[in-house]
Amino acid sequence: MDSRGGKITVALVVACVLLGGGYVVYAALGPSQTTTDASPTAGEASGVPVMVRAVDPAKPTLNGRVFVVEDGKVVRRLPDLACERVYYAAGRGICMGVAASGVDYDATVFDSESRKLNEITLLGLPSRARVSADGRYGAMTVFVNGDSYLSSPTAFSTRTTLLEMKNGEQLGQLEQFTVTKDGEPFDAVDFNFWGVTFSPTDSNTFYATLATGDHHYLVEGDIEARSLRVLRDGVECPSLSPDGRQIAFKSRIGEENRWHVHVLDVATLKDQPVAEQRSVDDQVEWLDDQTLVYSDGTNVYTVPADGSGEEQLLIKDATSPVRLEAGSGA
Amino acid sequence: MYQVEASKALLKPRLWARQSSRLRVPRNVIMLGAVSLLTDVSSEMVATVLPMYLIFSLGASPLVFGAIDGTYRGAAALVQVVSGFTSDRWRRHKEVAGIGYGLSALGKVAMVTAGNTIGGVGAIVAVDRVGKGIRTAPRDALISLSSAKDKLATSFGVHRAMDSVGAMLGPLVAFGILFLAPARFDAVFVVSTLFAVLGLAVLILNVEARPQRAPSEGAPPRLRAALSLVKERSFAPLLIAAAGLSVASVSDALIYVGLQRTIDFDPAVFPLLYVMTAISFMALAIPVGQLADRVGKVPVLLAGQALLFLVYGVLLMSSVGYLALAVCLVALGGYFAATEGVMTALAGAVLPEELQASGIGILITVVSLGRLVSSLAFGALWFAIGLQSAVLIFAACLALALALSAPLLFRAQRLAVDG
Repeated sequence: MDSRGGKITVALVVACVLLGGGYVVYAALGPSQTTTDASPTAGEASGVPVMVRAVDPAKPTLNGRVFVVEDGKVVRRLPDLACERVYYAAGRGICMGVAASGVDYDATVFDSESRKLNEITLLGLPSRARVSADGRYGAMTVFVNGDSYLSSPTAFSTRTTLLEMKNGEQLGQLEQFTVTKDGEPFDAVDFNFWGVTFSPTDSNTFYATLATGDHHYLVEGDIEARSLRVLRDGVECPSLSPDGRQIAFKSRIGEENRWHVHVLDVATLKDQPVAEQRSVDDQVEWLDDQTLVYSDGTNVYTVPADGSGEEQLLIKDATSPVRLEAGSGA
Repeated sequence: MYQVEASKALLKPRLWARQSSRLRVPRNVIMLGAVSLLTDVSSEMVATVLPMYLIFSLGASPLVFGAIDGTYRGAAALVQVVSGFTSDRWRRHKEVAGIGYGLSALGKVAMVTAGNTIGGVGAIVAVDRVGKGIRTAPRDALISLSSAKDKLATSFGVHRAMDSVGAMLGPLVAFGILFLAPARFDAVFVVSTLFAVLGLAVLILNVEARPQRAPSEGAPPRLRAALSLVKERSFAPLLIAAAGLSVASVSDALIYVGLQRTIDFDPAVFPLLYVMTAISFMALAIPVGQLADRVGKVPVLLAGQALLFLVYGVLLMSSVGYLALAVCLVALGGYFAATEGVMTALAGAVLPEELQASGIGILITVVSLGRLVSSLAFGALWFAIGLQSAVLIFAACLALALALSAPLLFRAQRLAVDG
């Protein structure tokens, strides 16, 4: 081949290395932010202390600091924690967010003094976090990014991991549990699990969503037996009430990604909608046995669980509300 | 001083000659490999950070990402046949491939300048995939036309190995940049653009447009001739065999999902599955190509397909240890190394010189349709009768496909040698 082409190529390589290297250095010296120092603003007073993660409305994907709000006042900021999803119960918490490098996501398992017990690299975008009422087990759901070496068999997938909260170690993924439906084994390639909620009385028992095809099944799980049982269709992101008798969940509106919040009676599996008319994409939390608390992505609202009344702003510029037991030390 | 210069000048071409005489790979193939390597670094850099960029910087929901991901894969499908025939008809393989590489490079420039809306990213990704669809058939035709018929498999092995090096480097470069400059996706896009431009430059400046086997001037081939390739007596059996084998092969994506269900390991290990397969593929592509040129393409291709039985076997085991997993991934890499490139090399040997790109375009389309059917069927079987039974059925289908395609492929090879 003619050497002119070769020489031009070498010159181009040198030019590209200089340009690319220069730009990376420029970017490395410039601002790069993964955490916001925004604070929430308390709205209505409620008798129950609530933990939230702050949101900067202009940059909602940045990690937010974790705060405790009580009686219409922001009472504390937890030191050293910043994330996109937080949950806490009985002295153990999970904080899932963008890793400091900005390259991927991680989760911090922390104790009542906000000390890090474990740090777990997540396989994807934080979606849901829960801790059982006794602080024994935790659950995390992430949206999994398609890996560059493979074409994903479904449009998107989720992965749900169970944790041992005393040390933050992983117990396995729901994808590895055996599933039964109407007493028969049940399996399909497009199984996706999300939105774990633990029984308040027996943390070995939990509920979650199993999605396959057009279905979103409510499943009941047994951690020790590593098994799941399908209960009914049309339930996403279940959340058990403190007394364990009701489940608040997202009910899909048609085929679109819009949801109404419904509340289901565990004994009868019958459900009814709450007064909130807007679409809600959150795993609802219970403030008490009569009141739901949830976020629309920027603010935290409450609404009665029995379908009466209307929604009320509880905390502005916050998501991921967690009911705290009074004097729980968080 | 003069002597040193002179001996250096002498030494360099001699080393190069020795190297290339051992591998016997035409310079054009190396250059096309370099083009693919650079372009793959560029594309994989963007593919690696795209979900994070869409969600973190643009605030897209993962469901939007799913839709864009679908565009990503669907856009390239039919373009292959059209671009293949067009490049044969105009006798402009290099130029048509250049349009494909150019579109992808333009897409990267657009990411830097206009990639700040979700719709914009969707359009850019679609353009990138169309570019990939346009370039593949004429590029493979150039590789084929640059190589002697008895060295085709080695040439494709070298090209595919270089290509996969690029696919491995891309994510590493992207992560490296984000490590130095956290959350600065613009830096990733800028560097990705530079890699794409370099790839295009190597194509324009260093790839010979009229390689050794290029058809002599004559009447340009007609569409009718390209279409009748599907009933041509040496190419038709190859197409049928390729279709059958691809239908009976479970896609790697589904194999990974299956492995995840059967193996109880730390989920953080999961991304390593692809990396191990890619390393195995990278290491095996060249030796397997050389082997195919020495002992025949068809036996190597059939043996490579048979490696899938090992993979299916691991999927059927009730508990899989790390040794079985390693065997499975090495076998999967070997299967890739011994099938796609070798099949294209066989097509290159069978097809007439003036219709190389058309035929390869048809072959790629048939194989990707076969894979689609395979994925849908495997998913449906998994749902209906469970993973293990589905794997058993696919193993039986693979045995049948191997038995039926072996005589077809041997016939195609014989006709290629005779013709």
